[in-house]
Amino acid sequence: MNEDLKKTLLNPIFKGNPITVLVLGICSSLAVTVQLKGACVMALSVIIVTGLSSLIVSLLRNSIPNRVRIIVQLVVVAMMVILVDQVLRAYAYSIDKQLSVYIGLIITNCIVMGRIEAFALGNKPIPSLLDGLANGAGYGLILIIVAFFRELLGSGTLFGFRVLPESYVPNNLVILPPMALIILGCIVWVQRSIQKDLQEK
Amino acid sequence: MEYISLFVKSIFVDNMIFAYFLGMCSYLAVSKNVKTANGLGIAVIFVLLCTLPLNYLLNKFVLQPGALSWLGDSFKDVDLSFLSYILFIAVIAAFVQIVEMVVEKFLPSLYSSLGIFLPLIAVNCAILGGSLFMQQREFLNVGEAATYALGSGIGWWLAIVALAAIREKLAYSKVPAPLKGLGITFMVVGLMGMAFMTFMGISL
Amino acid sequence: MNTNSNVYTIVYTTIIVVIAAAILAIAAMALKPKQDANIKAETISQMLAASGLTDMNALSKMGNDQILAKYSENVKAAFLIDAAGNKTGELETAVDDIELQDNLKVENKNIASGDPSLPVYVFEKDGAEINVIPCYGAGLWGPIWGYIAFNADCTEIVGAYFDHASETPGLGAKIKDEAWFREQFVGKTVNFANADQLFRIVKGGAPKDDKSAVDAITGATMTCNGLDAALNTWFKAYMPFLQKKAGAAGIDEAGCCGEGCCGEGCGGDHEHCNGEHNHQHNHQEG
Repeated sequence: MNEDLKKTLLNPIFKGNPITVLVLGICSSLAVTVQLKGACVMALSVIIVTGLSSLIVSLLRNSIPNRVRIIVQLVVVAMMVILVDQVLRAYAYSIDKQLSVYIGLIITNCIVMGRIEAFALGNKPIPSLLDGLANGAGYGLILIIVAFFRELLGSGTLFGFRVLPESYVPNNLVILPPMALIILGCIVWVQRSIQKDLQEK
Repeated sequence: MEYISLFVKSIFVDNMIFAYFLGMCSYLAVSKNVKTANGLGIAVIFVLLCTLPLNYLLNKFVLQPGALSWLGDSFKDVDLSFLSYILFIAVIAAFVQIVEMVVEKFLPSLYSSLGIFLPLIAVNCAILGGSLFMQQREFLNVGEAATYALGSGIGWWLAIVALAAIREKLAYSKVPAPLKGLGITFMVVGLMGMAFMTFMGISL
Repeated sequence: MNTNSNVYTIVYTTIIVVIAAAILAIAAMALKPKQDANIKAETISQMLAASGLTDMNALSKMGNDQILAKYSENVKAAFLIDAAGNKTGELETAVDDIELQDNLKVENKNIASGDPSLPVYVFEKDGAEINVIPCYGAGLWGPIWGYIAFNADCTEIVGAYFDHASETPGLGAKIKDEAWFREQFVGKTVNFANADQLFRIVKGGAPKDDKSAVDAITGATMTCNGLDAALNTWFKAYMPFLQKKAGAAGIDEAGCCGEGCCGEGCGGDHEHCNGEHNHQHNHQEG
């Protein structure tokens, strides 16, 4: 059992990473990877939402009528997202403003619904919670890696602190949306060079 | 004139894919050949065009702070904006469900070509994203909201069809093994995005 | 139990929706005061930063209560004006119920329709008056807005602060992040002589001797164009007020200024002054 739990927890972070392997949930959130701070808050929000909504759906799993399954799941997810949004707005207003609509878009982030459909509906609450948290974490990890490079090269700072010397001319291209995808492409490249079994034919 | 400007801007400058990464999941999953990509793109245009004005009205008359004042003075201070996410997604999901049932019943041929994409669309970020951007930008009337919806939809369609066309050709190219499939697709989308950035200076 | 029957499905969804709505309503109500306080404190911070009374660094370390207190201590008057520059109402400045006219989006529309209700916030710094007015417009991705601080007779800009909803970080977002950009505004003035171009943000560098132009930010053309348009729209709307202030400068120095003048008598007085364009006359009255 413990081995299983460990696997549930670690697999989504590296080998079965939701973004680079399962291609889930790239959707909106790349847009928040310009600065590390925003990316970290976004990652945390996604972890909380995936974890808790998986937990709730798993608790309800035997009672949900099959025909309205999707709607019920959406309601649960949307509720969690609104709660996160409201809390951020009250306690981290400046960051909430920076993330703007992208917090709301966690609702349609495929990871959340994907994990609920694939895992939470058929498993006990505790493993579901862990699966949700781990997938959120795997997703957050990629966000943070992308944000690290974009903020470092694009502004010469990390978390707003200057790390590169003043003489470094920030590369404005990195800040523009397309570069997020190219960096993501590079991450996939590195990961698949290491784990050869993931390569596509 | 403002409508044309908004329309062009939402297709090219505020492109759902290249500027906001909205609807990426289905964008990457369904862009392997032009025919299916085309089908999904048209379905997105259709659903956006119908749900966005609907959500606009919902926002204007129910959700906005003070929107309920038409019910009487005692409702003037009601602010239901915290419910917007849940109501927007409910409208979208319900609309998609209804369209799917109607199309299946009355237009079986259309259903067989378009219908399979409809369930995918309920959780397409581009649709919900459109509604959320609409709320943030506060369009003046339904016409503007519909123009924005049409423009964004066409922008999305254009992006997916273009990517599908490239990927069809890409299948025959020599790509380093670790980059094959997903990796190179990300990069291609990135490069397409850069090409689209050239439209940024457009002002009508 | 048959979880697929119609009755069960309907009852179940109803219960779920009601529970979800209840939880959300409770959370929203509980957090609402805190959220509103955040928004209010943010608006006030931007005004204070523009007025030069303090800077954003210091403000970001303060709690909401301290920011409100700081505002209340330093503000002398806050009032609304109409399109002709006449005062139409007062805004409360006592710390417990500070009133702001911060729905700039609505006012932006009202300016276009010719019936705005525009706020003026008068601060006192080192014994001198500072008039702070807002501006609002569309940037590249979303709204941009800011506060411009004028000296007592509104002939010179003494500070500015800008913010945005979603401009590109590192490019358009520099209107907020880069101190040099807003510092350029200091010492500039609104060019009343040219009503179509009251102020310019010039790509590639403003002419050195132009008192009503600043440099644009490289790579942020659209945001700067948006800001240029926003400033011109709002300066134009405020023009009657600014000109009255500038025209009345003579009497301000003669001792009739601040609270006394900007109280009840202010509207009429200034109207008079503006109507006759006669400082001498006005002086005697004062």
